[in-house]
Amino acid sequence: MNKLSGAALRQSPTRRASPLSGPLPWLLPVLLMIGVFYLYPILDALRLAFTNASLIGREETYTTRSILAMLANPALGTVLRNTAVFTGASVIGQVLLGLAIALLVVRGERNRLPGMLALRTIVLTAWVIPGVANGIIWSMLFNEAPYGAINSALRLLDIPPVAWLSNPANAMISTIIANVWQGTAFSMIVLYAAIKSIDPVLYEAAAVDGARPWERLWFITLPQLRAALIVNAILVTIQTLNTFDAIISLTGGGPGRATEVLSLFTYNTVFYSYDLAGGSALSMLMLLISLGLACVYALFLPRPEAIR
Amino acid sequence: MIEGRANRLGNIATYLVAIPIAGFFLVPIVWLVSLAIRTPQEIFFGASRFIPENPTLANFWQVLTGSGFLTYLGNGLKLSVLGAFGALIVAAPAAYAFSRFSFRGRGAAMMGILAVQMVSGLVILIPLYRYMAWLGLLETHLGVTAIYIAIGIPLTVWLVKNAFDAVPIVLDEAAAIDGYNRFETFWRVTLPLAAPGLASAFILNVIFNWSQFLVPFIMLTDDDQWPISVAIYNYAGSTTATTTHLLAAACLIAVVPAILAFMLLQRLIVSALTAGAVKG
Repeated sequence: MNKLSGAALRQSPTRRASPLSGPLPWLLPVLLMIGVFYLYPILDALRLAFTNASLIGREETYTTRSILAMLANPALGTVLRNTAVFTGASVIGQVLLGLAIALLVVRGERNRLPGMLALRTIVLTAWVIPGVANGIIWSMLFNEAPYGAINSALRLLDIPPVAWLSNPANAMISTIIANVWQGTAFSMIVLYAAIKSIDPVLYEAAAVDGARPWERLWFITLPQLRAALIVNAILVTIQTLNTFDAIISLTGGGPGRATEVLSLFTYNTVFYSYDLAGGSALSMLMLLISLGLACVYALFLPRPEAIR
Repeated sequence: MIEGRANRLGNIATYLVAIPIAGFFLVPIVWLVSLAIRTPQEIFFGASRFIPENPTLANFWQVLTGSGFLTYLGNGLKLSVLGAFGALIVAAPAAYAFSRFSFRGRGAAMMGILAVQMVSGLVILIPLYRYMAWLGLLETHLGVTAIYIAIGIPLTVWLVKNAFDAVPIVLDEAAAIDGYNRFETFWRVTLPLAAPGLASAFILNVIFNWSQFLVPFIMLTDDDQWPISVAIYNYAGSTTATTTHLLAAACLIAVVPAILAFMLLQRLIVSALTAGAVKG
């Protein structure tokens, strides 16, 4: 009794005045960090794009020449095409394979088949491997020496060796395979959760109607997964667009520029050519592409008020 | 009867698809293990010596002591843990505000934080490289840790908010009746009860930081400071065919801690990831 009244006394007048009663002080640390490490750098990169800045310090003057020079750079077209191929194929591969595995695991679990948790774990294991290690592991698998993993296995089967990394066209395919290997788990786990959250009543109704398995997949599962699939595809697109470590350690962008994507090109522009202005312009291009995709993403999200 | 047979056929089909998929995901890691325990001579047998005749652990020993990988492991662990801890400290109050306060622009602010995650590290690192140089934080773990914290914030805010959402709000009200102010409620009630969610956010951050390459690669050129990700990249550049077994061992040393951390806490991590995914 005594305690309660004391609490009420302490609570009523002071609570409003307390600086922690509003959300702002709680949000402050995050806002500060985002301001210092994201907003300001992005604005600065935008500013740098309109200068002639170099990584080796010199007087900067404002000019649009860096941007124009970058747009006229013949390498840019190749790099953008590589980026589109790498990103497009990786996204399709990851989302489809992730969906297939998620469907498989859910089906297996419903029928109490052993080994499904193991399958899920194996796929997720590839996902937690550092990107650099991913590139190194696949460079060992694709090694074209007689003792390289895949080629020596092919020889055991009397199949001629394949130029996995030295042939420019193959190098892109190899890079995509390595990337799909690592990234699929993300799609799998998101789609797995989405499949599990589909209302079972829908399947019961379908069973009453005598629907076949593929009809259940086509008319119930896939339409119900539509939002999850689209959101996932766009998240994966942005992740893939930003991929850097797995490519630099697998091919380094080569042979030639065969696997040089936008992130690698941006890095090389700044840290090899010391062209800070050009690199900043490229990084703005990366941001613009991501932002465009994020806007598409936002269209498919529930309205902000719906989020508790 | 027919239903049962169709089901059995379906089960067989499930395994027919599952086994090659499992193989695709498992073989690269098993191959890495196979190379890492071979002698230099056995490397040249390729796939025909998948299981080495003379397996050895000497490669690990040589890499750890001879090539400085003990230092790189330590640096990697230090940066990952500090970064994860920092991200939790910065993100938890914001997550609490998103979970417990209703205010104008809350939804937009949460979306904004999520949007930040889409910004490539490269975009911010180009300008940050100059600030860090100016502040004298290039070549320091402090500078790297600060960027790790910033990069970890978006995911951490969301994960921790989900964890707070799961703590019944009546407990906050009970704490308020007991005379706790907001901060005491947060610190003594919500935070401890959300401990499992905080733990999975922490572990996920550690795993992501462990994988982080771009930030230390750009910020640290002094090899005493490198985390293991940068170290194996440079090691790969300096090795030749005759040292493949050592590179494999080094690579495995970089990979195993991440896999172990994940395996131990798989249930926690998967539930944290899917909790967010289902809502989206």
